[in-house]
Amino acid sequence: MPPRSVRVGVQSPFPICYSVAVTTIEGFPEDLARLDVDARRAIVDLDASLYPVEALYGAAYVFIDRCYVLLDRPAPQKLRLVLTPKSLDGGEPAVRALVGELANELVSAAYRHQIAQENRARIEAVTMQAIAGAMGPPTLDDLEDFDFTDEAFEDPLGIALSWEEKYAKKAAPDAAPGEDAPEEEPA
Amino acid sequence: MTAGSLVALRDRLDRASPAFFRFRRLGPDRTLVTNLEGRWLVLSDADFEAYVTGAVARSSALYERLSDANFLRASWSEAKARDMIAKRKTFLGYGPNLHVFVVTLRCNETCVYCHASRADMDATHTDMTPEIAEKAVDLAFMSTSPTITLEFQGGEPLVRFDLVKHIIEYAEAKNETAKKTVELTMVSNLSLMDDDKLAYLLDHRVQICTSIDGPKDLHDKQRKLPSYSAYDAATRWIATINEAYAARGLDPTLYHVEALVTVTRAALERPKELVDTYAALGCRAMFLRPIDPFGFAGKTAKLVEYPRADYLRFYAEATDHILELNRGGTQILERYAAILLTKILRGEDPNFLDLRSPAGAGVSMLAYSYDGGVYTCDEGRMLAAQGDDTFRLGDVFTSTYRDLVGHPTVRAMVIASNLDSQPDCVDCTYNPYCGIQTTHNHKTQGSIFGRMRESSVCAVHKGIQDYLFGKLADGDPHVLEAFERWNTIRPREHFLHAPDDG
Ligand code: SF4
Ligand code: SF4
Repeated sequence: MPPRSVRVGVQSPFPICYSVAVTTIEGFPEDLARLDVDARRAIVDLDASLYPVEALYGAAYVFIDRCYVLLDRPAPQKLRLVLTPKSLDGGEPAVRALVGELANELVSAAYRHQIAQENRARIEAVTMQAIAGAMGPPTLDDLEDFDFTDEAFEDPLGIALSWEEKYAKKAAPDAAPGEDAPEEEPA
Repeated sequence: MTAGSLVALRDRLDRASPAFFRFRRLGPDRTLVTNLEGRWLVLSDADFEAYVTGAVARSSALYERLSDANFLRASWSEAKARDMIAKRKTFLGYGPNLHVFVVTLRCNETCVYCHASRADMDATHTDMTPEIAEKAVDLAFMSTSPTITLEFQGGEPLVRFDLVKHIIEYAEAKNETAKKTVELTMVSNLSLMDDDKLAYLLDHRVQICTSIDGPKDLHDKQRKLPSYSAYDAATRWIATINEAYAARGLDPTLYHVEALVTVTRAALERPKELVDTYAALGCRAMFLRPIDPFGFAGKTAKLVEYPRADYLRFYAEATDHILELNRGGTQILERYAAILLTKILRGEDPNFLDLRSPAGAGVSMLAYSYDGGVYTCDEGRMLAAQGDDTFRLGDVFTSTYRDLVGHPTVRAMVIASNLDSQPDCVDCTYNPYCGIQTTHNHKTQGSIFGRMRESSVCAVHKGIQDYLFGKLADGDPHVLEAFERWNTIRPREHFLHAPDDG
């Protein structure tokens, strides 16, 4: 199919309007995957209800050695992935192969995400057993290196303090029982 | 439906409905079913239909078979399933037992697919120092595994035989207090072997492993030495070493040089010749490994690679020929088959690190590179040689043992290689016996999880298991008898340096 010009806003991954020449990618539905001929990139739109965003990240990440990858949400129910190959060798067939691989990786990542949730207990048990079995109990040297001090890290918001530590010390030292209420309610 | 017929249906379902199972068609009128713990049956179409519809009569032989193998809800035994799973997973709970020492990258041989990313003989900067070697041994002895194997690799380890000796003696001294069971293994092209080195290796009970790629013309075409035949060098020493074992009173069926094949495109055409070469050399086992994408093989892939369907045809032809030789009295086995049959027929896992779930990289194996870098596995080290440090865990100078085996990369690999976390594998009939390689996924598909439908490793594993279950279903008594022999694990006790050895 010859390239056609469209007004962007729908097609572009960027929230600005400009004109791009897009063409379909052989074997892919036109409204889901397109080739932006001028910018030599593939634009893939996804139904957000089909793919968990974790799968989108996982699948997109697989391509970052070969492509510049941009994620977008052009509409509330739409996710968009733009792949720009780092090397322009291979032309359109190479981009088509990338889109195909992306499509497969997306399905794989989405299904894997579901399996991981379903089998979480089993996977965690095996992982725990494998790692704990390999690591063994900490040695005295490991314990010696461990930082047990109270001030191991900065905690300006007092998140690691207990309720008593955080609020009780604000009470007057001679306050009667029941009078040492915090100045503000804990969250 | 009346209340009476509902009760009848409930009773029937309770009595004969299936417990959890996976299935795969093996061919006309035969379907393989496996259950959670890896028990299996091959059913005819009629039996399979009766099974899945809950219509197996209680008095039938089929009911008995299904019930014995824990395939029915009514008689499902949690204890039976649990015990077998525990037996299959005994490797969990122990730290790395395989420790690979890359004592140098230097090698005098040049192989078309070199997996090790070799260096020229003058590249002395790729030699491990004694200090690095000692620190690596110290880490190996910190493993929670009571048994450890130190494997010397390269490059060609005989180039730095002085260092190999140093490591052996340092480890032997260390074991006087560490009290582990230690195995020592060397992977060598054997061309730099001499009588003194061999005497030392025999005295210190070091197992020797080499590569033979097929008949002489094929081997020499793929593995080149500067001025003489690599095949002649290797085969001469195989014969000498095997004779030396026999002279020391060791059973030749158990003690012999192990040789590995790397199946290249050229080898695919000659499966029988390949097997005959091994048999003529007196080898008792051959491991028909397909070529992989690590090391130089990635760069020369166009020359040596092939579709996996071609490999599987080769595998079937070669293994059929091995079985024919077995029938004639020549005892030789195929290693892939032996590993899988041990799982299928014995319900045990021989702990082959690339073919188990989760895989062994990092938790059951560590690789120490010549420069002190520590990797999850040998393939991780090879990828690093090509500029990809994904599988580097640390180094022998600054990393503690627990830093290495508890590394986030190791955890991620354990999760990714757990077949219960993988699409396809989670539903695959071969799930109880199979394994995947995260380094291979990373190299070929860009993520450690990979996609099994497009993975050449999965294609090979599936194809080999189809072949083996096909043979088991055929039921030829000679083949079944050979398979029984192949899966029998006989420990090579002579090579075990026991805790109390002086
Ligand atoms: S495969 Fe072994 S023998 Fe061949 S070049 Fe590589 S290191 Fe040397
Ligand atoms: S790797 Fe392939 S053959 Fe093995 S369990 Fe997974 S899907 Fe099955």
